[in-house]
Amino acid sequence: MGKTIETQVLVIGGGATGTGIARDLALRGVKVALIDKSDLNAGASGANHGLLHSGARYVSSDAEAAMECRSEGLLLKQIAPHCIEETGGLFVAVPGDDEAYIADFPRMCEASGIPCRPLDLKDAMGMEPCLSQDLIAAFEVSDAAIDPFKLSIENLNDALGRGGEYYDHSCLEEFILEHDKIAGARVLNTKTRETFLIKADIYVSATGAWAGRVASCAGVNIPMVYSKGSLLVTGQRMATRVINRLRQASDGDILVPGGVVSIIGTTSVRTDSLDKIFPSVDEVDLIINQGKQMIPALGNRRYIRAYCGVRPLVSAGGDGDRSLSRGFSLLDHAGDGVDNFITITSGKLTTYRLMAEKTSDMVCEKLGISSACMTRDLALPQTAGGKWTEPGVSLRQGAFSHKKEDHTLCECEMVPASAIDSIVSSIRKNSGKPDLLSIALRSRLGKGPCQGSSCSVRVLSHLYDRGEMTGTEGVDGLRRFLNERWKGEHALLWGTSLAQSSLKEMIHCGLFSLELESGE
Amino acid sequence: MTDLNSIDCDLLVIGAGFAGMVAAARASHLGLRTVLAGNSGSLIFVSGLMDYLGVYPMDAKGVLDDPAQGLACLQSENSTHPYGGISHEQIIQCFEFVKWILGKEGLAYHLSPGRNLPVLTAMGTFKPSFMVPRTMEKGSLLFGEKKRLLLIDIKGLQGFSARQAAGGLAKTLDEVICLTVEIPGITKTIPPIILAELFEDPGVQESFVRQVLPFSNRVDIAGMPAVCGVHDSLGIQQKIEKMTGLDLFEIPGIPPSIPGLRLKNAFEKRLAALGVKFLSNTRIKDPVFNGGKFIFTGVTDSGKLSISAKGAVLGIGRFFSKGLNAGRDKIMETLFQLDVRQPVTRSLWHGTNFLTRQGHKINQAGIETDQRFRPLKKGGQPVFPGLYAVGSILAHNDWMRLKSGSGVSLVSACTAVDDFYQGVTKAKI
Repeated sequence: MGKTIETQVLVIGGGATGTGIARDLALRGVKVALIDKSDLNAGASGANHGLLHSGARYVSSDAEAAMECRSEGLLLKQIAPHCIEETGGLFVAVPGDDEAYIADFPRMCEASGIPCRPLDLKDAMGMEPCLSQDLIAAFEVSDAAIDPFKLSIENLNDALGRGGEYYDHSCLEEFILEHDKIAGARVLNTKTRETFLIKADIYVSATGAWAGRVASCAGVNIPMVYSKGSLLVTGQRMATRVINRLRQASDGDILVPGGVVSIIGTTSVRTDSLDKIFPSVDEVDLIINQGKQMIPALGNRRYIRAYCGVRPLVSAGGDGDRSLSRGFSLLDHAGDGVDNFITITSGKLTTYRLMAEKTSDMVCEKLGISSACMTRDLALPQTAGGKWTEPGVSLRQGAFSHKKEDHTLCECEMVPASAIDSIVSSIRKNSGKPDLLSIALRSRLGKGPCQGSSCSVRVLSHLYDRGEMTGTEGVDGLRRFLNERWKGEHALLWGTSLAQSSLKEMIHCGLFSLELESGE
Repeated sequence: MTDLNSIDCDLLVIGAGFAGMVAAARASHLGLRTVLAGNSGSLIFVSGLMDYLGVYPMDAKGVLDDPAQGLACLQSENSTHPYGGISHEQIIQCFEFVKWILGKEGLAYHLSPGRNLPVLTAMGTFKPSFMVPRTMEKGSLLFGEKKRLLLIDIKGLQGFSARQAAGGLAKTLDEVICLTVEIPGITKTIPPIILAELFEDPGVQESFVRQVLPFSNRVDIAGMPAVCGVHDSLGIQQKIEKMTGLDLFEIPGIPPSIPGLRLKNAFEKRLAALGVKFLSNTRIKDPVFNGGKFIFTGVTDSGKLSISAKGAVLGIGRFFSKGLNAGRDKIMETLFQLDVRQPVTRSLWHGTNFLTRQGHKINQAGIETDQRFRPLKKGGQPVFPGLYAVGSILAHNDWMRLKSGSGVSLVSACTAVDDFYQGVTKAKI
């Protein structure tokens, strides 16, 4: 048994909610430790559109969630503007879409207090030339794009700056239960294989789709259903604004800009598995075939990546008072016989801050602390380590590229060596061990058209030269990196993407023969 | 369009990658009037290693020590692999032909007497190959022999770190020392091609030697990235060896590949000497087969020309070289619209593990031919009597997994051209 870490609150899960809670609690002066079995945003927080909802999406299905999105969206634009691009958004319909829904849309928006402006069809097509010539209706709303990686990195960095701790690749092995409480959490570092104990007063599970599994470690049952959603990244940005299909939520009906690319999704496929999930060829084709109805160019566009996440849904047992909102589930497990255990799951990226606030309120109430939430007013600080997640960021900033001896390691995404160095030092500061995956998580490395063919090798040799890697760590990490990126590639390989991926295979299998010792 | 420039030849080789180059060399060597069309720039992506068969079957543990043994196994299974109808002796003869052709232009290759050669890569892994540039030959002696090794990287050259190449060697060797050599005047990133040209400067060579010399008593052999000159790389290497008293070898890495550039240069010079008409950067389209002859249109930036040929060799590569093109649901061959052997749906093209040893099914897709490398119609008959397909476009050869890329290219190119030649001479008699 290794070391023991003592803290007031252990938060499990380094997604938007978990990092948001860590910051919220740290701001209230509470000592908090955060663990993630992988690394930041490994679940649904990293596998979504990056859409800051205006709320218009939910006016028909869930007016309450729509209003929450509206108010939280406005708030986040104030406190975290560096994570948000205020793109604005459109809702558009094409022939065949439900005309009753279209007709009712402005009234429903008004009922939820969501600004929505009807557009002349010609104007809409002028605003977004990629739109179909066959539009039958268009409205303008205040959707925006948000960078979920930057958001989590900045929340974490602020928490760390206020005394919080973060342990990546630290997987909960078991809760040690005593009487009606969790007395400790046994945690395994999956990289070093070391086990350690974290003792906290309160344990918060912010593990999204994994909430059921974590709760079962405490003997608590949360009935959950999983819905897999896949998204595609286009090689270039297709539109200025967010474009939504004006109909009941369905497949392939939202296109969101993310820096120099666009993201189209999603699907909804029931799944039993949380691990080893991939976007399938069928889902890819479904998204494209649906998406091209409103944006014809999606039919022949180059896609650089597909990814998927699992929406965690707590199956409603008719127990309405257990959740504060239909948007998310905040569960106090005192009612299940475990006094110091809380689960927060479901919800939307747009409402992550509210979820963190409500969870932290519950934590503080249990701790007997009366300090109020500050994330509503206090701006989220911008740090250097969060800078390299946005596609094409260096094209605009250029801050690093003029320095002498600074060279570009990733040519597709213009990631310079200095950016890699600053990311590596921020990982080191956290007593983490940098490898291609952890760097790629914090940068655009490998996310461009070359799919990591040669930038991976250039970054590795740079890390060896800097003494950040020794022995066979590089090649082992390269295998993990390539296989991880592959999850998002194999379903959309045709045309130029296939040509590019075959070059990657030529280099890494044909020459480097990485498959020969991959320990399959 | 009546006054098109026109060319008449015996054989048009389409595609100026490795297979096309070998086919054109073979054809002109046999005395055929040969035209080569294509872009030789793709050779910058080849490592310069020439593999025979490094792995067989694909799920075998480890690599093949003796490729002939793998070949025997392949043939006993009645494999549809392009090697299916070729003997070991024929394969060796084809390797020897290519070695001889390149040797004529001073690009020296080492052909293994029988065993696969383990070649150290920039990633620190070993790749089994069969015929390697002489400048890489000594590196293959590392394996199994206890030696003291100096690994050299060069400041400013991206993607190559001596420490990384050394990664797994500490276990096998007595001593591994890493050294970063600085080239005078180079402070920032330097492209490999510029660096290789710099290595031809005696001043740069002397500076390199000065930095390596202090280690010459502590090690037996030194490895460096494959940038030791564009022309006369072996001569430069031997000169440096003499000055340092150390055995030297080059290590292949990511493209752009200098050994590939040397191949391109050597082939282009030899083909010119052999009288091959090389239409570089000419795109061939609209093939017509009429009266026992092919008529093609060649398109360049400046205009069009008409090419008539008795036979054609298709060495246009796969997806990266655009010989094959994949839509969302189908793989097409881009010039003749030949039948492409392929999995029935896209969901079968790739597996979910990139680095699977079994390879991806799409890698087996390609053109099916008879044993003379003539593409076949659905009924099993050749599409045209004088049409051949060679190189990576052939079906049933996951060359990246089998380590058989260059071997299949040069064997199919030589075999196809020999077959065409026999047909032509028979017709004359």
